[in-house]
Amino acid sequence: MAPKRRTSSGPVSKSSQSTLSFNNKNRITKPTNTPSSKDLRSSKPKTDPALLDSLVSDDQKASPTAPATDATSHISAQDVETSPTTAEAAILQQAEQEKARVVEAAESTPEEERARKVSDAKIKAYWREKERQSLAPRVHQEGLSLEEKVLRLWDMSGEYGPCIGIARMKRWQRAHALGLEPPVEVLAVLLKEQEKENWKAQRAHVDELMSSRFNET
Amino acid sequence: MTNSLDVFLQSPTTNDFPNLERTPSSYNPLQTYDLAKGNDKHYQQQYADMYFTRLAMLKKPVEQVAAEAWDDFKIAGETAKKVDRVLAVRQGQLCWIVGTVYMEMPLKPNVLDDISKEHWIAAPPPRAKFTSPNGQDQIMLEDESGRIRLTGSFLPMQLLVTGCIVAVLGTENRDGEFDVVDLKVPDLPAQPERWGRHHSQVQGGKNNQQNGTPQAGKMAIVSGLGINGDEGDTLCVDLLLEYLLGEAAGPESQVAAANISRLLVAGNSISHGTPIPSREDVAAKKKKYGYDPTAYNAAPTERLDVLLATLLPSLPITLLPGLTDPANVSLPQQPLHPALFPHCRAYSLIPGESSQDPGWFDTATNPWQGDVDGWRVLASGGQTVDDVFKYVEGEDRIEMMESMLRWRLVAPTAPDTLWSYPFQLKDAFIISECPHVYIVGNQPKFDTAVIEGPDGQRVRLIAVPKFRDTGELILLDMENLGVEVVKFDLFQKT
Repeated sequence: MAPKRRTSSGPVSKSSQSTLSFNNKNRITKPTNTPSSKDLRSSKPKTDPALLDSLVSDDQKASPTAPATDATSHISAQDVETSPTTAEAAILQQAEQEKARVVEAAESTPEEERARKVSDAKIKAYWREKERQSLAPRVHQEGLSLEEKVLRLWDMSGEYGPCIGIARMKRWQRAHALGLEPPVEVLAVLLKEQEKENWKAQRAHVDELMSSRFNET
Repeated sequence: MTNSLDVFLQSPTTNDFPNLERTPSSYNPLQTYDLAKGNDKHYQQQYADMYFTRLAMLKKPVEQVAAEAWDDFKIAGETAKKVDRVLAVRQGQLCWIVGTVYMEMPLKPNVLDDISKEHWIAAPPPRAKFTSPNGQDQIMLEDESGRIRLTGSFLPMQLLVTGCIVAVLGTENRDGEFDVVDLKVPDLPAQPERWGRHHSQVQGGKNNQQNGTPQAGKMAIVSGLGINGDEGDTLCVDLLLEYLLGEAAGPESQVAAANISRLLVAGNSISHGTPIPSREDVAAKKKKYGYDPTAYNAAPTERLDVLLATLLPSLPITLLPGLTDPANVSLPQQPLHPALFPHCRAYSLIPGESSQDPGWFDTATNPWQGDVDGWRVLASGGQTVDDVFKYVEGEDRIEMMESMLRWRLVAPTAPDTLWSYPFQLKDAFIISECPHVYIVGNQPKFDTAVIEGPDGQRVRLIAVPKFRDTGELILLDMENLGVEVVKFDLFQKT
């Protein structure tokens, strides 16, 4: 072993600094090999995605043994409490802009007038009509409210454009501006959700699924 | 006594040479291609939105044109019927469908090639054309339901690129492909009147029309100045400056130059504005921390700034960015920032300030649309036409420009092979009002034509050559839309 060096007692004492090492195999920074930045949440440890509970919000500081409840409600709590990803943030901004536009405009547009007049019974009738059009009964929709079912059908209607990356209200406005005559019942449901300040309802469900970091590719 | 010398020994003449004044230019740009700034500009949306809005906006005009042409079309006693979805065509049934064209070309740049390039040593050289020689290219028609392949001997005669919206008449054959008999495009949109926007804006304010519309001069158009700060031999550009300022030649040329009211620089003013180093260059260069002075050369922008500042006190300028200029790479390119032009800044608007009058130095977007002397002008830096050139067999740039107007798309290949901003609410590249003049810069040679539309629209097409190679300046007469070329060249004794 090399003899121990005497530290020089000068104004700058070099012994206080540990030796810097470059080209070291033990890198301090992780190599960035992740598939997309949207999946990165730097503060979260990598755990088994099946344990959804372990990825619950910051202020809970969850232990892996937290009770497993409905997956959707956990995602919802997490979405609201942790800082949103770029896509979520953009859709939230779109939703808020739509609400601000509605609030600022002294009078609502004619289609909004019609939408506010649409009663719950009409929405139920609309939904029954849509259900009758499909040959097979709908599966996996038992736990959803009528509003959510109407909105999911709205997402899946391809003639109004892609539903990913755009808030549902904005998509309705875009379809209306292009003259595609989107159903006014959907606007009625969206206005109700907007009044309740339910920003979660503005993002399409498939958008959440497609950009979810639970996707192991 | 030599009379010739007496000519010089004279007192100053009493002739009164009048000062020449430049014709003023009436200018009213549109903000069609301006993007939001900062955090308001989002990139999280996908390009599918852009294709969807393009089809939704152009479907009705195409359907109208097709319905007029094919409503009573009969082949062997069968009338053509419109089919709503592309995949709903039935075999043997004569019908017509509307959709987006997609060209499947094996030689087109593919993102998968980019990934596989990492495993190869040298990248293949960029191709001039994507067309493959042995008929491997496929043309497909796409809409929300799906895609169908188009065949038939009618197709090779048509100019088609990915992204244009067309209506095709034909039938499905045994192979499941659509055999095309006829094809229709949206054709030119409605054209506004000359001074239409000016009158509607003026009438909004006051009612008197006594000032009327002033006599217009000429607009000078140049592109591809290609300043790179290296060479000392910039004589052609200096001659151009002298000509525009009226310092060159004799009194007749000076009177002609005084009639030039505006200069439009259509892209590529700087020859090497944003060198994006390729993978090999980055690997070869040793990593330098901090500011690397060898990487940035300020000489080209300084030279361009001084050049424009020499012209500005006398001539208003509209500056469009091009492929090699220091602006963003994806279309629509945003205006060059005034910070690049410390001398010209005084003549332009402060960024963030918006007023009716854009000032004499207008840095514009690429592509750009505006009203100059009442005429609607659509100008582009050339990337759009160059990209369309790669898809088709021919060489005629004017034909491509005409097709782009008839498709109503400024950049038909935009998200496919031309980098573009992902528009979400509406595709900004759709031409909603037909321009009177369509200018495309940085073309290999000068060409011009006048095309006509179904409702009496007339458009002057101008392909502007690169000044660096040809030394040509185009003068567009703003009264009758006639075109002249002024060529600057050096006399070289061989």
